[in-house]
Amino acid sequence: MTGSTGPERNAADAGQHLTADLPAYRRAVRAFIATEPGLKRWSHACYPSTEVHMSEHAALMAVLYRSGWNRYGWPDAAGGLGGDERHRAVLYDELSAAAVHIPEQQMLLETLGPALLRFASALAVQFLPAYLAGREWWAQCFSEPEAGSDLAALRCRARREGDTYVVSGQKIWTSHGATARRLICLVRNGSAESRHRGLSMLMVDADSPGLSIRPIALASGQNELAEVFFDDVVVPASRLLGRHDEGWHVAMYLLQFERAMYAWLSATVAARKLRELRDAILATTELPDGGVRRLGECYADIVTLKARSAETVRRLAAGDTVGPEASIDKVLLATAETSLHDLYRDLLPAQFLFGDTATASRWRDDWWYSRASTIMGGSAEVQRGIIADRVLLLPKERGS
Amino acid sequence: MNSPATGLDADSRKEIAASLRQLFEQRTESHDVATLLAEFGWADVLAEDPCAAINLLFHEQGRAVAGSRALDDVVLAQLPHIEATARRRAVVYPHPLGAVLSRPRDGALRGIVLGSLDDVEDAVIPHTRPDGTVAVAVTPAAELATAAVPLGGFDQHTGWRTISGSRTTDGHTVSIGPAWDLAVAAGRRALAAEILGVCDAARELVVAHASARMQFGRPIGSFQAVRHRLAEAEVAMAGARSVLGAAWQDPAGPSGVWTAMIAKLRAGHAQAVLMRHAVQTLGAMGLTRESPLHRYVERAAALDALLGGHRALTEAVGSALLGGTEADFELP
Repeated sequence: MTGSTGPERNAADAGQHLTADLPAYRRAVRAFIATEPGLKRWSHACYPSTEVHMSEHAALMAVLYRSGWNRYGWPDAAGGLGGDERHRAVLYDELSAAAVHIPEQQMLLETLGPALLRFASALAVQFLPAYLAGREWWAQCFSEPEAGSDLAALRCRARREGDTYVVSGQKIWTSHGATARRLICLVRNGSAESRHRGLSMLMVDADSPGLSIRPIALASGQNELAEVFFDDVVVPASRLLGRHDEGWHVAMYLLQFERAMYAWLSATVAARKLRELRDAILATTELPDGGVRRLGECYADIVTLKARSAETVRRLAAGDTVGPEASIDKVLLATAETSLHDLYRDLLPAQFLFGDTATASRWRDDWWYSRASTIMGGSAEVQRGIIADRVLLLPKERGS
Repeated sequence: MNSPATGLDADSRKEIAASLRQLFEQRTESHDVATLLAEFGWADVLAEDPCAAINLLFHEQGRAVAGSRALDDVVLAQLPHIEATARRRAVVYPHPLGAVLSRPRDGALRGIVLGSLDDVEDAVIPHTRPDGTVAVAVTPAAELATAAVPLGGFDQHTGWRTISGSRTTDGHTVSIGPAWDLAVAAGRRALAAEILGVCDAARELVVAHASARMQFGRPIGSFQAVRHRLAEAEVAMAGARSVLGAAWQDPAGPSGVWTAMIAKLRAGHAQAVLMRHAVQTLGAMGLTRESPLHRYVERAAALDALLGGHRALTEAVGSALLGGTEADFELP
């Protein structure tokens, strides 16, 4: 399935033109989505399991890669066609506006891709093209059973031995962990007391000897998350992102994309789902008390998130470093996600609680997953602490 | 996402904001804001970058909890249908507790003016015609003056007045069609900026208090319960600022009216969140006249009510969505 409007059919200078001219890129993406009948497969789709979901969305990645549209925003050397974060943002916006799914894989691509480009360009050249093409995807291994909100307490050991690291320990709450081809792991090379100083970031192949992965079923039954066990897993030192001891710095760089680009991506998805919810409400006879106001409120939450993360996307595209204020984006994201899924639950209680359609089932799964929005990537409490300390400059909490 | 090539840069904006802040401090009964602005050369700033200028002016007006007729200028600038004259005019705004628009045709006029009618010649009264279109009546103020009474209530210092009763003549009526929507949108952007200005001043006050006030041997701002309240308020304010920023990007564009409504809604929401937490954080002091906080609480509430309070607008957005509005916020 090759879109007739795909950029690979255009002259090279046409591609350059789209790199420089964002409105033209938007029009071209829109035209592609409108004229590519194959994309219907990813409209209003429901999947029986996370595994099927991921493999279906990998097929969508492949379509977007072949037609070129998900390559904008990434450098040529890493399989891209040039452009910046705004190109990626426009693609997400246009897919969602046309009620087409955004591949799940884009979520971690947004989080991990920029860090790889910045801190391990050789690895980016080697592996990013396969990610963009949907042939593989990666997971982020940060949390541990004893290190959640207190990330700097992590203990998963990486012992340097010649040109390799030997990794032992455990990671948990890894999104896409059960299907990912590679894992970006924050590991401890220093002493346990070294906190955020003695950490390094490694890319580890999921099929490495000594590495085992166990899916964790969410309450919905879906294997959205996994735990990962490392038993003397040997990793070449060439798989470092950044330098030895620089892991915390890489993690902080990465988190600004998680808090900003991922927020924008999720906002466009939330806008699509709200339209879907609106249509479902219109098809029912009665709206509970306060339903109209709740709908308006949720819409305003999503618009606010979009307005805020649009600014952040622009700043990232301009090469700015986004500091602690990205926690504001993260809180707005969590607010929009929880309010959207609570809205379905509260306005269509019969469907949510007892509906036996695939759509009802998907909303239930998504409701459970939306509860993660105030936990993952730094809990709601951690984000508010960052805002209090570093945006409002309030006195520190005792013990911190 | 391209920022306009022309207009005021960040440094000029800072300078203008500082000058405006001074200007609002200098105002007196006899030397009002309009006079000071004219001396400052406001017309030039406005001509160079109207969006930034209006945003700055109203933000500072909010910070100072000041009153002026500036909103009338913003609204009237969107109504070119009314013949330009040198006559001073005041807009009669829909009363927040009444119908959407004042309805002088029914004989029952109810509205709000931003100040006394003694020093204006005409009242500009928007109203809905029987066929549903919007028109404005331009009526000599003298014929309404007897009914313009100071509006007290929660905020005793707005300077606003209510007009109620029936008019003696129809004055000069002009159909304005969708221009009224644009005028309301312009007014809402200005009011959103003003509300956020009030919020900024209140936030400074409450952060300073939380940092200085000691209990149990430490500043109360080091307690998580207080910190999280104030962080929550900061999120609401930052979100509202971003929506307003988006609303200023293309005010005359196809979604300008819609975005202005969301901007006003979010500013109203932000003040509600901030003021609730601010009053609690200031303890008993927060509900006295000893602290200036009450003035911020009251002014923000009054501004929220003008041209649609945040709850009413939220309801209106929900209804519009159910009515099939497909408006989305595109990455500009």
